[in-house]
Amino acid sequence: MTATARIERLKERLLAVRPEMDLENARLLTEGFQEAEGLPLIQRKAWAFRKQCAEKTIFIQDDELIVGCSGSKVRGGILCADTCWGVLDAELDTISTRRYDPFYLRPEDRKLFENVIRPYWKGRSGYEQWQRRIPEDTRLLRDNGVVYIDRKAVRGFGETTAGYADIIRKGVRGLMAEIEERRARIDLTVPGDLEKDDFLAAELMVCEGMILLAQRYAALAFEMAEQEKDPRRRAELEEIARVCERVPEHPAASFREALQSLYFYQTCIFMEQNAASYNPGRMDQYLFPYYDADLKAGRLTEEEAQELLDCLWIKFSEPCLFQDAVTAEFAAGYPMFQNVCVGGVDENGSDAVNELSYLILQATMDVQLYQPSLSVRYSMAANPNRFLRKIAELIRLGTGFPAFHNDDIGIRMLLNKGVPLKEAFDWNPCGCVETNLAGRMRQYTALADINLGSMIELALNNGICRKSGVRIAPEVGEATTFQDYPAFEEAVKQQIRYAVAAVVKGSHLIDDICLERVSPALSLTFPACIEKALDYSQGGAKYNCGNGIILIGVADLINSMAAVRKLVYEQKRISMAELVQALATDFAGCEHIRQLCLKAPKYGNDDETVDEIAGRMFTFLADEIESYSSKFGKMTPGILPVSGNTPFGLEVGALPSGRHAWKPLADGVSPSGGTDLEGPSAVLKSVAHIPHGRFVQGTLLNMKIEPALLADENGLRQLMALLKSMCSLGVYHVQFNVIDQAKLLRAQKDPDRYRGLLVRVAGYTAYFTELGRDVQDEIISRTTQHGISVG
Amino acid sequence: MENDLRGNILRIEKSSIFDGSGLRTVVFFKGCPLRCRWCSTPESQSFAPQRGHDTALCAGCGLCASQCPAKMGPDDHRAADCQFCGNCVTFCPQHANIIYGREMQVSELLEIIAKDDVFYFHSDGGLTLSGGEPLCQPEFAAALLKGARELGVHTAIESSFYAPYPAVEQLLPHLDHVFCDIKHMDAAAHLSHTGVDNQLILENITAAAASPFPFTMTARLPLIPGLNDSAQNLTATARFCATLARPVQLELLPYHRLGLNTYRKLGLPDPLPGVGPPSAAEMADYRKIAANAAPGLVVR
Repeated sequence: MTATARIERLKERLLAVRPEMDLENARLLTEGFQEAEGLPLIQRKAWAFRKQCAEKTIFIQDDELIVGCSGSKVRGGILCADTCWGVLDAELDTISTRRYDPFYLRPEDRKLFENVIRPYWKGRSGYEQWQRRIPEDTRLLRDNGVVYIDRKAVRGFGETTAGYADIIRKGVRGLMAEIEERRARIDLTVPGDLEKDDFLAAELMVCEGMILLAQRYAALAFEMAEQEKDPRRRAELEEIARVCERVPEHPAASFREALQSLYFYQTCIFMEQNAASYNPGRMDQYLFPYYDADLKAGRLTEEEAQELLDCLWIKFSEPCLFQDAVTAEFAAGYPMFQNVCVGGVDENGSDAVNELSYLILQATMDVQLYQPSLSVRYSMAANPNRFLRKIAELIRLGTGFPAFHNDDIGIRMLLNKGVPLKEAFDWNPCGCVETNLAGRMRQYTALADINLGSMIELALNNGICRKSGVRIAPEVGEATTFQDYPAFEEAVKQQIRYAVAAVVKGSHLIDDICLERVSPALSLTFPACIEKALDYSQGGAKYNCGNGIILIGVADLINSMAAVRKLVYEQKRISMAELVQALATDFAGCEHIRQLCLKAPKYGNDDETVDEIAGRMFTFLADEIESYSSKFGKMTPGILPVSGNTPFGLEVGALPSGRHAWKPLADGVSPSGGTDLEGPSAVLKSVAHIPHGRFVQGTLLNMKIEPALLADENGLRQLMALLKSMCSLGVYHVQFNVIDQAKLLRAQKDPDRYRGLLVRVAGYTAYFTELGRDVQDEIISRTTQHGISVG
Repeated sequence: MENDLRGNILRIEKSSIFDGSGLRTVVFFKGCPLRCRWCSTPESQSFAPQRGHDTALCAGCGLCASQCPAKMGPDDHRAADCQFCGNCVTFCPQHANIIYGREMQVSELLEIIAKDDVFYFHSDGGLTLSGGEPLCQPEFAAALLKGARELGVHTAIESSFYAPYPAVEQLLPHLDHVFCDIKHMDAAAHLSHTGVDNQLILENITAAAASPFPFTMTARLPLIPGLNDSAQNLTATARFCATLARPVQLELLPYHRLGLNTYRKLGLPDPLPGVGPPSAAEMADYRKIAANAAPGLVVR
């Protein structure tokens, strides 16, 4: 099956749109807050939301079957004025042209910003509070690139999975009835019930807004249908009108209504707050009853269901994440991280894969856009081989999807977050690889990043940042005084303890500031928020976790420690003084030392002398992070770089791993580029030394797939075997870069960019760019046919 | 102790999918009695360790010579005083130097083989001995196969079968699968292309196929355009396979030139200038010819 002509047209039109700032949302928010002056914060926010629903620009595009948009235009960057108007203020002159994720700013929008938005919000945003109140040690580490912690100050909540199923099943009316029921139990003579009543009234305002918005779409569709000449499109518009009249107000009565209800709610929570990672989650589970009933009743064919899903996939690619230039560097590509998940187990712990799981995988194969982020939960014990095979086929397309998750480890992570097993069975990946529970869990999954390359630098440089020359961290003694390897390791640990503590302080401040970032539209589908009559931001969800602390530069840390141990303390091939000197000068004039460093054993080759350090250090890191709690719960560790390994690398000088100064760090738990010489099994064995289940915000592994695994049926089978092996080893996640013909051709043309690209040649592994042209050509030609090796 | 035996090993490749079922660890032996003109691993021919150097990559920085105990320059390929200390490899920033071959113990290899156990399990993979020629180090190879079997690992060998039969017999009890190369059915052509006679090879294959051990067997014919790809040779090979005492699959492998880089590193000329790999269509034709020659023979 391939995408229909409709899908091709929708996709083509979307890709032609250049991202623009979209300030209508910020204007309506501002006016709404002004109108609602005197009301409690939660109701001002709800009123502004309702105003958005009533007044925002709406449109239905040609060929669309699923409608809705959080902004006034597609690919618009929405400014979360109450959180961070100042971000745009600082980038007014550069936002249209900045290097990462530019948004075109129209002159009239700039005026609107300067005359309406800025004057109202000046002094009131969370971002300003954060800049003013950030603890001094945290600030010093942030400003020197050791931690990155601004992310939550520059956008809304996100990083959560709303209870989409609630909206679909109960309809907004059903939820309103529940709110009314809860409100009936309020006693305004009881202290605390006033705030609860304020919250519940705000929820009702949100509900009214959502119904209003859908009705406006219904009216628009009806109006357009009347004008439409083409009878086919007229019928489609009439059906859109009919669907929007029903949902999300009422429970969905069909698969299509369920999809529309889901997407309306998705746009609503983005309208409320510009944020990344609102995750639709386990769509194959909560949508299946609708699909199944329609199919059985003969109301829907598989092809029609596929087209509707494909249409929804296009919609998921319409929004573009607006954030400041620095944050954009850490997560480049306008990433909305709307994570959709298929597979895994049901509430009995049994196979949850159904026909819709396959259709959802197929939608990503059909549409091949950057959203939604498609994840699979693969349960080796429960899920069928047919499912794994479909996953392998999608991997071979080379889109980078799906993100493959080992279900058992995901469940283990939820248990470690304090969720009982029965509910842990229902977990879903969130954002990149973080763990979540729909409609029940609150936390910032990736509050701050810690630069592990800096930990080595600060340990060897007595707390002084190489780049700035400023002392920003504890004095741990000159490296030359470390008598043995344990002394060096202790210095690294001391730097880690200090950085973790600084991040925890910052996290507590963010938590405090964000108590005011109320989100009534999001809270609506967290049943515990309604029952407790408490907003999501303030701990209303059933499970509240401490924020996520993310580690970047895993391989750099491990390789550096392994090199120091081997070269300085075991083999004594170089002295610590020589090493420190070489690092200070970025190996200038001592290439022989750099070569020794580079050729010391590396993580990713199944070498116990290196991997043993990984196991020990990452147990230490998890212990250290978990030793702190916030008012919401135990702090939570994770390892996912998004693209933060690149900007972090710019802040770190040369390392004992042999990495040159200011170069990118390794991503996720992956080996450093070009250092994994033993093939995929060795990579997975090394990576398995990290105690994945303890990094409850997920661990991210990028692996490459060699042409041989793409070529034929046998290759596909071996890819499936690799995935099963990865599960047996307890690795949590993997995503694949495919080394296909196109990539090899690019590498041939631009060898400098592909220095680390490893390929296998006649039984050995080699750097592609170092092979002769004739051999390169032969490898390229072989990516299209099978049968490589002759003995 | 068998596990203390030492052998000459060229290298170890993990997760290989070309020499037997599943994901395999392939142990390449160093040293081979044949000199096939199309050899893709010329570094496996000599039993002694060798130095390789890629002049195209060498930047002439001199770091290798400065760290060499024998003060050898990078171009001294066959210099007798090389101690194979590996410094020239370690210190070269360009990856221009390489040492081919080292002595390894059975126990050391078994430790490496055991590392991929999980991968063998899920893929029906295992260990393959290749080369070079494993039959040239029969005691060592037998100990290795036996040790792998004791670890529950599936075993295979990729061999020219050019060895005294007792060497073959030593290995057969420890094997689950046998790949035997048949490079040419014509004795004279075999001699001229590989440097050895094919009589011993064909006798060994025949005897092995008739042996009581329960391994499965695949014959492999690397197809080198103009050298051994005639219809006559394909037909003869297929018919030979069909006469063997147990079912044997015939696998046709297209010639490739991926070994050229190694020829350069060893300072050797391109052994078959102007000969390129057969096309997919030609391979399909070859398969058809072989299949027609011996109905019932599985040709891949």
